[in-house]
Amino acid sequence: MYKRYHIDTSLVELSTTKIGKFEIMRNDACLNCGRCMTHCIYDVHERDSADPRIMADPVNHLCKNCFACIQNCPYHALEMVMNKEFEKLGNTYWTPQVIHTIWNEAEEGKIPVLGSGYRGRFRGSGFDDIWTDMSEIVRPTRDGIHGREYIATAVDLGRKLAWISDFRRLDLPNSYEIQIPMLLDTSPLGLNSKSIILSIIRAAHKLGTFAFLDIENYGNELKPYLKSIALRCPLDKITNLDQSPWKEVNFIEIDLPRQFSISELELALKKLKSENQTALISLGLTDPSLSNGILKQFKEERADILNIHADNDGQSYEGNIFICDSIRKAQLDLVKERMRCEITILAKGGIAAAEHVPKIIICGADAAVLDLSLLVAAGCRVCKGCILNDCPAEIEKLDPEIAEQRIINMICAWRDQLLEILSAMGIRDVRRLRGEKGRAMFYEEIEKESFEFIFKENETAK
Amino acid sequence: MKSVEIKSCNSRFHKNIGKYTVSLNDSCFHCGLCVEICPYCVFERKDGFNHVLAPNSAGCLGPECKEGPYYCTTKCPVDAIKIELDPQWQTLGDFRWTPELIISTWQQAETGEIPSGNFEYKIGASGGGFDNFDFAVDRLTDMSSSDINNIITSDKISTSICLNRRGEGASIEIPVPWYGAGMSFGSISLPSMLARAHSAKAWKTFTSTGEGGYPDELIPYCNHVITQIATGLFGVSEATIKRTPIIEFKYAQGAKPGLGGHLLGDKNTPGVARMREAVPWNSLFSPFPFHSVYSVEDHKKHIDWVKTINPDALVSVKVSTPSDVDMVAVGSYYAGANIINLDGGYGGTGAAPEIAKKNIAMPIEYAITKVHKFLVEEGVREEIVLLASGGIRTAFDIAKSIALGADGAIIGTSDLVALGCVRCGNCESGRGCPRGIATTDPELEKQIDYIWGAQRITNLYASWQKQLKLLLHELGLKDIKQLRGRTDFLRRIDEK
Repeated sequence: MYKRYHIDTSLVELSTTKIGKFEIMRNDACLNCGRCMTHCIYDVHERDSADPRIMADPVNHLCKNCFACIQNCPYHALEMVMNKEFEKLGNTYWTPQVIHTIWNEAEEGKIPVLGSGYRGRFRGSGFDDIWTDMSEIVRPTRDGIHGREYIATAVDLGRKLAWISDFRRLDLPNSYEIQIPMLLDTSPLGLNSKSIILSIIRAAHKLGTFAFLDIENYGNELKPYLKSIALRCPLDKITNLDQSPWKEVNFIEIDLPRQFSISELELALKKLKSENQTALISLGLTDPSLSNGILKQFKEERADILNIHADNDGQSYEGNIFICDSIRKAQLDLVKERMRCEITILAKGGIAAAEHVPKIIICGADAAVLDLSLLVAAGCRVCKGCILNDCPAEIEKLDPEIAEQRIINMICAWRDQLLEILSAMGIRDVRRLRGEKGRAMFYEEIEKESFEFIFKENETAK
Repeated sequence: MKSVEIKSCNSRFHKNIGKYTVSLNDSCFHCGLCVEICPYCVFERKDGFNHVLAPNSAGCLGPECKEGPYYCTTKCPVDAIKIELDPQWQTLGDFRWTPELIISTWQQAETGEIPSGNFEYKIGASGGGFDNFDFAVDRLTDMSSSDINNIITSDKISTSICLNRRGEGASIEIPVPWYGAGMSFGSISLPSMLARAHSAKAWKTFTSTGEGGYPDELIPYCNHVITQIATGLFGVSEATIKRTPIIEFKYAQGAKPGLGGHLLGDKNTPGVARMREAVPWNSLFSPFPFHSVYSVEDHKKHIDWVKTINPDALVSVKVSTPSDVDMVAVGSYYAGANIINLDGGYGGTGAAPEIAKKNIAMPIEYAITKVHKFLVEEGVREEIVLLASGGIRTAFDIAKSIALGADGAIIGTSDLVALGCVRCGNCESGRGCPRGIATTDPELEKQIDYIWGAQRITNLYASWQKQLKLLLHELGLKDIKQLRGRTDFLRRIDEK
């Protein structure tokens, strides 16, 4: 029977993520009159349960910055400051706001809906320089997640036929359909905590997608989930692999170092093919420029998937190219070679928010690979350096089921937001979004189109 | 025209927010010198008392007045006064609505005067769009205050615009180049709606019902209230269409382009539900788009439909800003619309998915130039009124949109800031706005007295009109209509 794809969410709170943006300070002028309690609708101010004559310390993580208590306090006894702990979260790419948003999504599994307009900068770099398009009146449009129409978020991984020459002998190449254009990755921060790896892989299993796993982290406890594992192995280790679990997985990625010889790669690919004929073969590239040697592997059907790796901030490991640009270039290169439709492009690194998924797909990827965001969903604060036994989020001690549900919640929220974007664009299938640069606006182009004529003329007039 | 009454209208709170915090330490012996010298009433001593009260920091200008004769810290005989940047300042506002913009909008709402200039009241800090260009005029340095006063009260500089430029139908002129945006009953409280309507009536401009129906309390203001017909069709009836001089079709909203209106269940109180003919406490998500409109031809049928019901009304079409917004605008023109309202992506909302606010559709700055150019090329620009909304915060944003090619602007969030909004962004759920503005909670909404609110909005508009007049004078223009499309007045502010 037909079953509509659905992700089950449930509320999962985590005490380590109760870090509010603001801190309310109560000074000595307070007479414990309780006016703040009547004005606060978020229960920040309560009376002390042990001694109801005095006010308890404010519950800061509930504060929503409305200034009602501060401005209504007759004695000017309250003051708000930024919470230092909040400001310390993350870094310049994984900003406190990005982390906070993921935490909320992971907790509730819902689309973040807030009042008042956009609050950020006019533009940023990378993803923040892209606006997606929408339709009204002159083009067909769709109801969003609240409508009845079905919008497909499924994508195919693997090789597709360029054309069908003989319907009687249909020899289709291997491909897998996943219901969300997102794959998971267990390798962020070089983490090898067994419990978090298990929860990521179980989440992938439940979501019907794949999770990348470095071969050295494979253990018997992961055996039940083999069909959801994309096994990743450095190139130099492939030739001396032992048997299991290679034969049983559906997806294998060769992690290519910066320097390697094409003949070595060809040898490895040949060996993989002889061990496992059905698995999808992916090449993980840290260098976004596609050499002829790489292109040849795709042309001659030895590899099916191109996974372009960037670091956690979306920068390429060489040459500081942002993941959007890497993907746009790879997409164009493959279009020029007339083989874009036959293979799959994945983008790994720097996918930090729901809007990054549709945007990277517009740039040309088939699907996004989520890595650090999964850890953040589990409570990670993206500190500098990562020492497991001193983790403020206690990732190592986290119950794998809790982490798993939080990851699933976040991905459900991201998929729903993808649906909102697709419906606004009037697109009913995420596969149609791939490389649709015409349905997006890029800062450089639109700024030039709208303003160049104004300011150029004005400057020459001077 | 009878001028609008400006009355000073103070904040409704015990404590105001300021940039600096002023403190007196223990060595103060309450000589009262500071009370005498500070013209901003930071220090106060009640009659018959010995002690100086705790300083009212919000009035303090900070080190700005160091050069002036009344800088208290150096005058204090015992060095008891300390002025510091208030750490609270960082918690207020954001890139688009900086704390300085919020505070100066409050100041304008209190006094009705152009801010004195100690806070940046013209642009925000978003680093792009309106915040990235300015008018190429030399600031008035040699003008005396009486000169300035003559200009801003002069009738010779006109800020009025006409809302119908087709040769037929009602002729409606508003004295200021803006009117109020649609904010529904449900997203904001009834007192807030009344305050807006009251002020619109005073200014002979308009405010819009939004999509939540037309509360009976607004009927006394019906000549200044636009009936909005949005995709949810909540509370739209023949009576409400007949009652209004302007009918607004809301195809999309800038803060959530491509999505219907959101009213989360918590705010859908029985009163709101009755108005919307919906079930109380259920979330209401309007469809997107109008399912009766899938083409410009369908759109024309829509307009014909309301014109049949109310032949005298002007028709405004509110659309957001996709890349083909120019086609939409021309289509609306041929379908018979009088006003095109472009709602840019950075506009306000009572509730919208965060992902939609930045990432879908373009900011208004781009859309204005695009549509204006296209309408000119099509040869229909002179027959249609182009209004910009979605991220218009100040008088200068209005002037900039006009210089880019719009006829005027539509104002939403600024009205609410005048009522005391701090842009905390929690209007969407629970009891709504803790400050009583965007709430449907019967208890919270009592915080706003609508007469007080109307005066605040009126004052803000007065200050804006003065700023526009001054700007027009500086540019050597006599009429705001002459400013339209004058991109040659604009210059880029170099990014810092």
